[in-house]
Amino acid sequence: MDKDKKQIINFSDVSIGYGSKVILRDLNISIEKNDFIGLVGPNGAGKTTFLRTLLGNIKPLSGTIEKENIVFGYVPQRDVVQPLLPYTVHDVVMMGRYSFLGMFKSPSKIDEEIINESLDRVGISSLRLLNYNSLSGGQRQRVLIARALAVRPDVLILDEPTNGLDTPSHYSVLSLISHLHDESQLTVLIVSHLLTDVANLVKKIILFEAGGFQFGSTYDILSDENLSKTYSSNIEVKKVGGEFLITSKHEG
Amino acid sequence: METINLLFELFPYAILGSIVAGIICSFLGVFVVSQRVVFLGAALTQAAIAGVAFSFLHLINLEQIIADFFGIQSVENSFLHHFEHTFFSLLFALIAVFIFSQSYRQKLLTTDSLLGIIFVVAIALRIIFIQKSPIAEVAEIESILKGDILFIGSQEFYTLVVILFVIASIFFLFNKQLKFVTFDADTASAHGINARLWLLIFYITVGIGISLTTRFVGDVFTFAFLILPASIAILLAKRIINVFLYSIIIGALVPPIAIYFAFKLDVSSGPTAVVLVFIIFLLVYFIKKISK
Repeated sequence: MDKDKKQIINFSDVSIGYGSKVILRDLNISIEKNDFIGLVGPNGAGKTTFLRTLLGNIKPLSGTIEKENIVFGYVPQRDVVQPLLPYTVHDVVMMGRYSFLGMFKSPSKIDEEIINESLDRVGISSLRLLNYNSLSGGQRQRVLIARALAVRPDVLILDEPTNGLDTPSHYSVLSLISHLHDESQLTVLIVSHLLTDVANLVKKIILFEAGGFQFGSTYDILSDENLSKTYSSNIEVKKVGGEFLITSKHEG
Repeated sequence: METINLLFELFPYAILGSIVAGIICSFLGVFVVSQRVVFLGAALTQAAIAGVAFSFLHLINLEQIIADFFGIQSVENSFLHHFEHTFFSLLFALIAVFIFSQSYRQKLLTTDSLLGIIFVVAIALRIIFIQKSPIAEVAEIESILKGDILFIGSQEFYTLVVILFVIASIFFLFNKQLKFVTFDADTASAHGINARLWLLIFYITVGIGISLTTRFVGDVFTFAFLILPASIAILLAKRIINVFLYSIIIGALVPPIAIYFAFKLDVSSGPTAVVLVFIIFLLVYFIKKISK
């Protein structure tokens, strides 16, 4: 096996859900180092449940997940973060170090260096002392990405990172994610409801559908029939100027 | 000046206790307001009051249980008598906190609905408990439920100081965990922090603070001082440390000033404190609005 293509996460016959309710069953997925995977599917198909199971927030109902010593950096949807208190960008990014500090320890010089490096990587060093709640949507998204990088993750997981962003910020955040993947061989999982974004960004796709899933390369998964069946809608996959363009066809 | 001297002579513990109660509420209020769980304050104050009302049913003789446990003779004791009200007030608030904490990451019920249920059930229980209480004690129950800053004596004052110390210690020691889970519980959890546990600790701390201040100064004062000083501070402050500082300063200063005005105008001190802090809120709100 290629050394760089080492499997880092393995789902074997995993069923996931809440309580007695199974949302997805027979998940057999291997995620390799340096993978760039898009998680797509209709609302309620199980994307969030899959993420929570992967992160260890909920236990699988059956099967095994191997993910030994994997550190996850998580970027939540921006609207779950409470923006009322005037935390600075530095305060927010420092939260990424909290799980390493132990119960009573304060951040060290090394933690500060890691924070500065994370801010640098997402290009917002100059915003360090500004209040998080005074920033634009795109800047806030970069802060949350910097916080996830401060964990020094093996896998970066982003949940709808472009939701609610204006067009320039939208593409700037996508380009940053792509750059982070290329620059440091970072394994990236991105959840998005915007199929075109995901199609042009990632190399592999997990397509969630009611009760099941498909996992493969972008080219294998993205076809008119496949998406139309999953989304129960007339979906057209086109290539324009070398890029995917995925649209829903409306009749009449 | 004469009035101030007289007040210090007559109600030294009430003045000091009101400052401590104001600090407790205004400090916790910063988290309650920023977490958008203001209604939690309302639900917990009502749960605490239902607990006080329950204690008057005398269904559980706590005094006797404690005496039996330690193998000592039970003697009618004013401290234990008051302890019983405080104990049940705390117990009911903690039960409410436990029920509320179950709302974390469940999809059956919204947080608002759950708080609404706790709120209205607590009021219903309070009414039933009062109706079933010995008639001779109804006046005492009403006065306790209403709560009055001026009733704060030395025991209440020292209890409030202990509560303040406990709350401050918890937030000082576990600053990182509580800051992270109240800012973004999902990511804290994804990064390996037990968000469910820390949120429970946070809500228990809030429950202890709210139930005991409600017991001593009443629900109106407690609820108002949970919301208003923190809201004013959030409007004014540009740095996180200042949010806490402004909120605490307002929470500490307004109650003694309210006692002065209440004494002068011959009105209740709790509602006077609420009106005063509301006036400050209005002023700050309009100044902020105009300056924008």
